This record gives sequence, structure tokens and C-alpha cells, in this order.
Amino acid sequence: MAVVDRQGPIADKWTHVADDAPMAAGQSVIVSFARLKNEHNSLFSAAGAVGVEIGGDANLDELEPFLPRLGVVVIRMNTMRDGRLFSLGRLLRDRHKYTADMRAAGDLIPDQVLFLLRCGFTSFEVKDNFPIDSLKRSVAAYTNWYQRAGDRAARVAELRQGSTS
Amino acid sequence: MAQAKPAKAEIKILTANRLRNGETVYYTAAGEWSPYVTQAKVAATPEEIEALTKIGAAAYAANLVVDVAVIDIVPGGEVKPAHIREIIRATGPTVRSDLNKSVAP
Amino acid sequence: MYIYDKFDHAITQERVNEFSQQVARRLVGELSEEQFRPLRLMNGLYLQLHAYMLRVAIPYGTLSSKQMHKLADIAKKYDRDYGHFTTRQNIQYNWIKLEQVPEILAELASVEMHANQTSGNCIRNVTADQFAGVAGDEVEDPRIISEVIRQWSTFHPEFSFLPRKFKIAVTGAVKDRAAIQYHDIGIQIVKNDAGEIGYAVYVGGGMGRTPVVAPLINPFVRREDLLSYLETCLRVYNLHGRRDNIYKARIKILVRDLGPDEYRRQVDEMWPMTKAAGVDVPAGEVARIEAFFAPPAYEKVSEPVAAYADAKAKNPAFARWIQTNLHPHKVPGYGAVTISLKPIGGIPGDASSAQMHAIADLADKYSLGELRVTHVQNLVLPNVKQADLFAVYQELVKIGFADANIGLASDIIACPGLDYCALANARSIPVAQDLSKRFGSLDRQHEIGPLQIKISGCINACGHHHAGHIGILGVDKAGQELYQITLGGAGDEKASIGQLMGPGFTGEDIGGAVEKVVNTYLGLRQSPTETFIEAYRRVGPAPFKESLYGRR
Repeated sequence: MAVVDRQGPIADKWTHVADDAPMAAGQSVIVSFARLKNEHNSLFSAAGAVGVEIGGDANLDELEPFLPRLGVVVIRMNTMRDGRLFSLGRLLRDRHKYTADMRAAGDLIPDQVLFLLRCGFTSFEVKDNFPIDSLKRSVAAYTNWYQRAGDRAARVAELRQGSTS
Repeated sequence: MAQAKPAKAEIKILTANRLRNGETVYYTAAGEWSPYVTQAKVAATPEEIEALTKIGAAAYAANLVVDVAVIDIVPGGEVKPAHIREIIRATGPTVRSDLNKSVAP
Repeated sequence: MYIYDKFDHAITQERVNEFSQQVARRLVGELSEEQFRPLRLMNGLYLQLHAYMLRVAIPYGTLSSKQMHKLADIAKKYDRDYGHFTTRQNIQYNWIKLEQVPEILAELASVEMHANQTSGNCIRNVTADQFAGVAGDEVEDPRIISEVIRQWSTFHPEFSFLPRKFKIAVTGAVKDRAAIQYHDIGIQIVKNDAGEIGYAVYVGGGMGRTPVVAPLINPFVRREDLLSYLETCLRVYNLHGRRDNIYKARIKILVRDLGPDEYRRQVDEMWPMTKAAGVDVPAGEVARIEAFFAPPAYEKVSEPVAAYADAKAKNPAFARWIQTNLHPHKVPGYGAVTISLKPIGGIPGDASSAQMHAIADLADKYSLGELRVTHVQNLVLPNVKQADLFAVYQELVKIGFADANIGLASDIIACPGLDYCALANARSIPVAQDLSKRFGSLDRQHEIGPLQIKISGCINACGHHHAGHIGILGVDKAGQELYQITLGGAGDEKASIGQLMGPGFTGEDIGGAVEKVVNTYLGLRQSPTETFIEAYRRVGPAPFKESLYGRR
């Protein structure tokens, strides 16, 4: 397992900690939403940093109160075809105003990273043999877009104002 | 004493489409993929069918072919698929006789 | 017509490059078939029985003569010299090689065409009334907002891995020629009491295993709000649509399970946030697009046109063709000609490269360079002067596309079926050919009157059988092709779902069964002007069931 951003592999300080596993003080831990709800007081005081992992069914309204103190939200999908990820990312950013690292996890391919970036994701948990060359090419595939999305990039419609051809 | 006859005779061949061009192909006794259904290697025992299945899975994993299937054929004589779908795959659309495919070289 | 600017060209070219890379990565094995499948489907590339099939987008069914020439060239160079026009106003090629697809996409890009989102679980090519811009009964040309939607939905980052495919259709007229209520979202352009243009939005229609006529979810969405409204409709679906069962994954099941009121409530609740995200189309952009669809330079023609009247009087076959294949034009002295791709005994929707070239030439000579594709798998010359109609007719006779059967029994929709399609359970085309021959006599077709026969080779319903006055569904029963009959379907503004009559018929018997249905109608209609669908709605299924299965 590796973690990448749009440019390639990045150092990852986070450790996934199972619900019944102990954790060392000062560790940067990613816990389940259930554990976060049950142990948030001790987690936020003992851990170095806290992140949470959620699935496609997560209730984001319930998560919202914790968001300002989280260092990463990992959204995991079981298959690359489960596109709820994209909308959940938009909601976390736009509705719940989450601003820290948002990480997609699951059976991702480089071609999806491009769209995930546009939906507000910032890092990606991928397999070790993830093709970095393809990732770099894929995220640079397009200069402009037709629609406004989570990255707030200017749209073609706006760029056309003042353009003559 | 005569052996008990299986409930249903199972005679099968291995078919797929070539990855790079989509052509309908059949696995032959020579270990190649041929567009001609009559060249297909016939499997008549559970062991032979199992062997074909494994060959198909390996060829899929090696990115040579896609849509791999072990299909029924009509017993006896020249190889002929049992189901209408597979007959059409082997011989071409029934509505364009000019585009019919040959079943043998 | 819409014409690409440098931004459209750049995006289309970047797409060619991106997909070329994806093909290359597949061929060397970097991408597995499971990973590649959704990517190739989003580019309209299927693997069928004999080869790959490539579906090329013809946005809202409008294309230029130059584009038609290119489609013909591609058919000749990369396929077996023909193409198939589809119910979603696209064209598909049946014998494509994966390794040649990048080259084909580059050829398409050179004439401002592509295969984007013609398949896959994404927002598909938007469809519209084939008479857009020329019909007298429209509130506004539906192609304007269709192009806005095409651009917004192209490579939409949030909606490219939806639970299932998503189809949007637009009509600008009250008379619905785009079957909008059978779409995931159907948009009808309307005017409110203040005379402002807006959109009535229907959500959750569809065919397939569970046919549903879409309920009206919002009677009036303002133009400046439409994209955020659509985006919200899609977001609710993407989050809550079922992903556990492919037959329950379309938005129609979500809307049905929630109920239209609850679905509407959820959309309304989320809409302000989508609006605030600034996804709506700027007014200047709509005006820019609208300018491309300004009426072309029509000549002033004073009616009646003597040569036209004369040709009709002297040529009964031409007069009859006019009766069925000519749609009134909003400009006096012009007409919109439907070219029937349904020659008697032919394959519905198929055209050879020679025929495509000939039709493109006709468009140049007689229709201001423009063509349309209809969802009934025919083509349209939208701008023909009355004085030229006879010449057009004679040219169509030469290429075998002059049948005077639009809207009649032999104007059949048929999916490719088991002759080509990997999903099909039964063949569709031979049934269409059999029926076309049975009803081949023009006298008989005209006596029967308006009748829509639609044939699907499997439950996915690409042949729109649910919406056929007579629908035929091919099924596989223990290795045998059987054909079920449904009656009473309609895909227009009075949309209804056909009712199943009973057990299926064999390929040999289905033609005779349909004849019985038609004869039953002829026997019970109150007058020659009572159409099949009117008569069916009056009397119900009983007499038809009896004619098919006897008294039970």
C-alpha cells in the first residue's frame, strides 16, 4: 500500500488502527467512525493527530462536529465502480466545509484520480504497484474543463469571455 | 458391465475474442487461437474441460483474449456450437450473408 | 449548427490523446479488462459477438454534410462499409478493431465529432426532437439547451461512475418527438405566464426490465438555474441510487422507492448548495450558443409552388411519399424530409458508406448542408424547398431510401439483437424484416394507418418495445428464441407502457401473430381515422388476446 497525491508518492504519517488495537501516545492515527464517536475525548487528547475512515454509507451530518479537529478523512470504496466517493467528496467540502486532507482509498486507477482531484480529494491510498507515470500523465490530460467542480477551476464558458476564436 | 451414462453429454470447446481486434476465436489442438470454429480443440471429459478452462483463464490473464467461455457443441461430426448465439458468433450475422464467416480455412 | 471554438477543439483532442493512452495501457496489460471496461464504455466501445462495436455521438441528432461524409469514410476504411443509426440518434460501427480506435477518434475529431459518453454509467449523449429549429410548434429550439447540457456533462468529474447509465432528452414542442418521459431526465421547454422560457423537468423514466413513465418533478426551472438543478438531481441519485443490483440501479427505481414527493424534497433541500457552488451556465454563454442555432438564410418562397403541385399530381408515388415523409416547416415554401432507413425487407437503421455519401450530397444540394438522425432510426433533411422535393425524392429512389412508410407499419425500430449484440437473447432484425415484408404493400400500410412496431432482442429494451403500439420482446427459452407481444405502448406526450399479451411465439410464428393483431384492429376500428393506438385504448387487450390465443 502506498499513498500518492497528484504528483506521485508522498510520505505518509498516518497509521490505520483497528477498533480493538491499542495506540501509542503521539501517534497519527486513522480510526473507524465508530471508534471516533466512542472515544473522541481520549483520541483527541492522546493521539498526535486523528483521522477517520468512512465508507459510502457514512452519515456526514454526524461526522460534521468532528471535522475541524480531523487531520484526514479517508473515504474507502470496495470497487472502483462505486462512484459515491465523488459526491461524498463534494459534500464534505461544500456542505460540511471540511478543509484538511481528504483521501480516497480502494481499488483506484490513475484515470479516476483526475476526477477525484476535481471533487476535492487531496491524497490517494493505492496499491504498491500503482503506475506513477500514468498518474502523472492522467492528471495533466486536460487543460480546461466545461463544468465548474470542487476544484473551482475556471470553466471554458468563463475563459471564452474575452477570447475571440 | 457398461459404465453409467452421464445425465447429459458434455462436449465443449474454448472460445474468446482477441483483445487487440475483437475477432471471435477458438482454441485449437495446436495451442493457438483460430478464427475457424471447426479447428477448435474438443474436450469430452471433465478433466479435458477443466484443462480448457484453465487455458482460457491464463490467456485472459496474459491479455491475449477477452470474453472467454467454454461452450457446448453438438456431439458427433464437425465441430458445431450447440446454441444459436454461438452459431452466430462462429458464422456471422444471419442477416448479412455477404459477411458470413468461414468455419474452416 | 454548433461550431467548435479553440476550447472545444482542445478538449476533443485531449480526449483523443487520453483514450489513445488508455488503449495502449490496456494492450500492454497495465490496465486489466475489469479496469479498462468502464473506460472504454465511456468512449462508446463495446465488445460484441464478432468484434468491438464503436458508438459515435451525434449530439441531439444534428450533423453536417461534412460530418456525414466522414462517417461514411470511417465505415469504409475501418468497418465493413456500413453503419447503424440508433434510437439515441447515434451511429454505431460493428466490426471495429481496438487497436484502430485511436485513429478513428482522431478522424472524428477532425470534423468536431467524438464518441464521448455514448455508453457507460455516465451522462449519455443528450437527445432531442429531430425537427428542432424547423418545427412550427416549438417554444424554443431544444438544441440550445442541449448543447449547454452536452458541455456541462462532458467529463463531469462527479458523475462518471454513476450506479447506472443516465439519459437526458429535450423537447421544445408540446408534441413530444423525443420520448422524454422514457428518459432518466426528460426536459420540456415551456413558457410561464410571464412569457419567460423555462424547463419542466421529468425524472425517473426508463425502459428496461421495469418500464416507467417519468413523473414531473419540477414544472418550471429557470434557464439560469437548470444546470444546478440537474446537478442536484444527479447528486441525489449518485449518493442513494442502488448499486447492489444492476436491474434496480437506474434512477427510476430510486424515484419510485422514495416516491416523487420525497425525491423532489431531497433535491430541493440540496439545490441551494449546488447553486452556491456556481455550476450554472453564464447568460453570455447561452447567448453565444444560441447564435449558432439562428435560422439559416431561407429564401422567400411564395406558395403555392407550381412545380411541386404539378409533380404531386403527375406522380402518385411521390404524392404518397410526401404524405408520410414530409413534416411541415415553420418557413413557408420549405419542408423537412424524413429519409426512411426502412426499405422493405431491409435492416432498420443500416446505411452503406455509398448511401451515406449520397445523403450528405443531398444535404449540401438541397438542405443547407444539414442533417438529422431520428430516434426511430431514420434521417432527416430539415430544410428542403418545396420546389426541390421531387428531385430529392428521385435521388432517394436511386439509393433505395425512398419508401413512403414513415410512421407506418414497416417503419420499425429494431435493436441489433443476437446477430451482433453480446447482451441479446434473440434476434431482432429477422423479425423486423419478416414484418416489413408482410406489411410491404404501401396500399396496405396506408390502409392500416399510423402504427409503431418496436422490437428488442432482450429486456434491456434498446428497441423501445415498451413504447411500441405493437412491441415485440425476444427472449431465450431453453435455447430457443421466442417473441412476446406487448400492445398499447406509446413514447409521445401521451406516453404509456405496452401490456404483455401472453406467452411468446417462435420466430416462425411471430409474423403471423402480429398480422392477427393488425387484422383484429382493422375489424374493430370505428372508422378508418381511428388509429391503432386509439382503438386499443378504447377496447383494451381482450379482443387482441382472443385473436392470438383463442377464448380462454
